[in-house]
Amino acid sequence: MAETGVVARSPIAPAAPEIILAGWAVSARRSGAALTVTDCTPLTKVAIKAAPVGATAERLEVPFGRVSRQTWTLGDRDCSVMVVGSGPGEWLVLGPPGSQVSLIHQLSALAGDGDLVAVVDLSHGRALVRLTGSWAAEVLAKETAMDLGDSVCPDGAAFRSAVAGLAADVIRDDRDGTRSYLVGCERSSGQYLFDSLLESGAEFGIEVDGFVPPDI
Amino acid sequence: MILIPCPWCGSRDAGEFAYGGEPTPRPDPRTATREQWRGYLYLRNNVAGWTTERWYHRMGCRRYLTVQRNTVTNEVRQP
Repeated sequence: MAETGVVARSPIAPAAPEIILAGWAVSARRSGAALTVTDCTPLTKVAIKAAPVGATAERLEVPFGRVSRQTWTLGDRDCSVMVVGSGPGEWLVLGPPGSQVSLIHQLSALAGDGDLVAVVDLSHGRALVRLTGSWAAEVLAKETAMDLGDSVCPDGAAFRSAVAGLAADVIRDDRDGTRSYLVGCERSSGQYLFDSLLESGAEFGIEVDGFVPPDI
Repeated sequence: MILIPCPWCGSRDAGEFAYGGEPTPRPDPRTATREQWRGYLYLRNNVAGWTTERWYHRMGCRRYLTVQRNTVTNEVRQP
């Protein structure tokens, strides 16, 4: 009898060929194009809410609108995580796929005494897309009214605004000096967001690139 | 286009917000008359000119804010 296992699926249909990585069905396509879009939904996404000013906020060390890349010990290994100040008193922590339990434990331990704190795993409730390339800002500018210039939105900045008409978290996270944005939205709108970015990037030669864990 | 100055996010397009309407003081339901309660629920001043409004930044910081808007010119300013 064939062995079976649970496979998580992103709301964004993986471009062929499809493989299973870290328990997620992802695209195995590899692109060398100057502008790529990658479905990063398999990344662990944990939201934490607390008072904008308080012990928990101090321990997270990330103000609203900024991003910090930190190394946390998850289980028995050191992992790179991204802490995003996604709103006033609201943070989004991105970690490698499958690290929900460890991240929630870490964040629960981080909560300040006496603070009213909520920690919620959003890994399967949000879609996350990475747009990378020197034209990434031009593509995103077709979908949002936000000023994406370096003076307003430098590397390490984050904001929530309308992207393709959806409420979306946008994180500027450049990769090796190349512009890159992570765009997250509600799971049910993920495919629409992905398709909108592909359509907007068509004139710039955008291609789909597959997810490679940990990719954070 | 109406730009609304959000104290957390800066000026954003009104499309990112949900209109909350004129802030109306809520009468005490134990002592309010039917007329007072009806006025609280349904009647607004609807002035032509500057009015104070509540808006909800649903696509941004998800906070309520109060601004003043000129209903004739759609000019918006901090109260």
